[in-house]
Amino acid sequence: MANREIISTGNDLAAIAAVDAGCMFFGGYPITPSSEVMHTISDLLPAVGGAAIQMEDEIAGVACAIGASMSGVRSMTATSGPGISLKAENLGLAQMTETPLVVVNVMRGGPSTGLPTRVSQGDVAQAKNPSHGDYKSITLCAGNLAECYTETVRAFNLADRFMQPVFVLLDETIGHMHGKAMIPTEEEVKAGIKLRKTFDGAPEDYRPYGVEQDEPAVLNPMFTGYRYHFTGLHHDSKGFPTEEIETCRKLIERLFNKIEAHQDEIDSYEEFMLDDAEFLIIAYGSVSLAAKEAIRHLRADGIKAGLFRPITLWPSPATRIKHWTDKINKVLCVELNIGQYRDEIQRASGRLDIDGLFKVNGRAISPYEIVNKVKETM
Amino acid sequence: MAFNYDKYLRLEKMPTLWCWGCGDGVILKAFIRAVDTLGWKQDDVCVISGIGCSGRFSSYVDFNTIHTTHGRTVAWATGVKLANPTKHVVCVAGDGDALAIGGNHTIHACRRNIDINFIIINNFIYGLTNSQTSPTTPQGMWTVSQKAGNIDPTFDACNLAIAAGASFVARETMLDPKKLEKLFVKGFTHRGFSFFDIMSNCHVNLGRKNKMGSAMENLNWIDSITTPLSKWEKLSPEEQKNIFPTGILKHDETAREYCDMYEDIKAVHQGKRKVITQNDFEKKI
Amino acid sequence: MSLMVAPANTPVWIDTDRCKACDICVSVCPAGVLSMKAEPSSTLGAMIEIVALEDCIGCNDCELNCPDFAIFVADKKSDNIKFAKLSDQAKARAAAIISNNYRLPVNYGK
Repeated sequence: MANREIISTGNDLAAIAAVDAGCMFFGGYPITPSSEVMHTISDLLPAVGGAAIQMEDEIAGVACAIGASMSGVRSMTATSGPGISLKAENLGLAQMTETPLVVVNVMRGGPSTGLPTRVSQGDVAQAKNPSHGDYKSITLCAGNLAECYTETVRAFNLADRFMQPVFVLLDETIGHMHGKAMIPTEEEVKAGIKLRKTFDGAPEDYRPYGVEQDEPAVLNPMFTGYRYHFTGLHHDSKGFPTEEIETCRKLIERLFNKIEAHQDEIDSYEEFMLDDAEFLIIAYGSVSLAAKEAIRHLRADGIKAGLFRPITLWPSPATRIKHWTDKINKVLCVELNIGQYRDEIQRASGRLDIDGLFKVNGRAISPYEIVNKVKETM
Repeated sequence: MAFNYDKYLRLEKMPTLWCWGCGDGVILKAFIRAVDTLGWKQDDVCVISGIGCSGRFSSYVDFNTIHTTHGRTVAWATGVKLANPTKHVVCVAGDGDALAIGGNHTIHACRRNIDINFIIINNFIYGLTNSQTSPTTPQGMWTVSQKAGNIDPTFDACNLAIAAGASFVARETMLDPKKLEKLFVKGFTHRGFSFFDIMSNCHVNLGRKNKMGSAMENLNWIDSITTPLSKWEKLSPEEQKNIFPTGILKHDETAREYCDMYEDIKAVHQGKRKVITQNDFEKKI
Repeated sequence: MSLMVAPANTPVWIDTDRCKACDICVSVCPAGVLSMKAEPSSTLGAMIEIVALEDCIGCNDCELNCPDFAIFVADKKSDNIKFAKLSDQAKARAAAIISNNYRLPVNYGK
């Protein structure tokens, strides 16, 4: 129950959520507009006996965070688009070794140095495949202040459940938004913590990567009597490098299966005024706030608009998207990039006529822009 | 009773994939003997290696082991150690891994003086990938990336570590394994960042293409370019340019270790002490 | 200390599954105890062999310098082994082996 009232910013809420969810390590590097996550958690973690460190660069930031996670503690890093680009190789290693990690990306204008202090949603496609090779991303996107807290908590539980990095996207507007949020109490969050699965049999029987094809690896914390090997190379059930044909095939397939077989545990979306909608708007992050406002105006003008808001962006809620795009003819995807999620909507819906309202100049999309676009299209 | 290495080896991974006579194996053996001498419990040890032939080091030893991405061992280790300050963390990387792609992380790990033991297996080449130039490959040697002859200047890894602030810096070779074992014992005991530049032979890649294709010829070359510090100090500046001093080059027990300093941060945020200021440090700059 | 019991009356013994014929142990043995021999099925077509077990002085150099955990030396104190003293004859054999590409010359000493 969201009974705790707090006045804070999106970035700070992500930091507070992490500590409430049992995070004991943060490794990072300053980058606008995410630095406040690091500043805040640097004060909160040592207070509870954890450790936070600003490293020498982005790569070291994620490397030490993954190292801490491999040792068995809940761990996080926070950055923006350019930092994700730098961290990509190591994120791939975390995927391959099945190491839990929460990665907060406070999105700013891109590409490259882009617009450091301005908003975008330009890292959505990147979050699906930041690193080379085949693996499946779990990416959540906070659409309001409270979700900066709740989605970060959910990210930690998902990271431990599926044993891999989980991205939490905050666009800069949401990251720097300051206001009142209703969030669960610390006790509720602690009661809902689901740590990674561990093996408690005889050490000689332990096979960290010898699991069912639809389950993640079972990786015991270090220093507890179960010694095994982590490597980014293809590996066997004990974690040792191998090139064996069947082992390699099954490993990659399992990296996908472990998520696809349990997608119901990851799915999350909001359906706002969709029951009688004749115009479907799809938006996420801060844009969804403008979309909801736009829908109120449109409805007052007699246009039955509704919003489908994905909260888990990856894996995408393809089945649900298709349900609505089959039902509603007029669809508009509104995002602060050149159609990164529109591409996914078209793929999921099988339609090539999904309209888009895009903005890539670092400015927000106002409710009026959405209202005008919808009216234009009707 | 003879020494039983089997306790520390992952026997199903033997024999190693290293070439015949590769120094990696000798260093591995000295490392195991040192750990045994120190009485470290296997469960309390984490060994982290990089990419390259030396990267396979971690898969052969029965500890908590990680094989990371290229160049990032000490950054990885910083996370493991800071989250588990009472455990023993050892990094093993090659000269390319530690000094080229990993140079930045090496510098800052030295600077932080975090209690990690960093063994650089310096064989003067990128061995695993067939002889590309590394930051320690002597000028004029033949490498696949510079078949006309290497023009890249080298640097002295120990000088780099000392300048960056490491509190224990040592160089040895694998020519005298007993000396090497004693050095590891001393360095591992030191509370602070321990930096080891261990010169080793890659006769199959570097050596074969530079007129020292046998293990013995390569070892003789290493012997000819190293000498103990006390002897080195007596050489003329001209002679010193072409010989590396071996032994402990720096050992400062007074430097505060990073995890120990981090305990002060915890104390501040737990209300147990006042905020840290410049007055808490001798060094003001 | 992690220890194993030496085979009875054996100052030095080898594990041929692990030897890669690198020549290093032969080159460091001061007493000419070791030599390489031809072995077509092995790395480099060669294998370590003990040619003068009774001359082993227990210096441990072969074990310490072997990169492949393929050769082991008994412990002076706890294995109840009597190691030999280094003789001129042993030194001469060592020199002969090393100068013959680490192989005991055919018909040596005969």
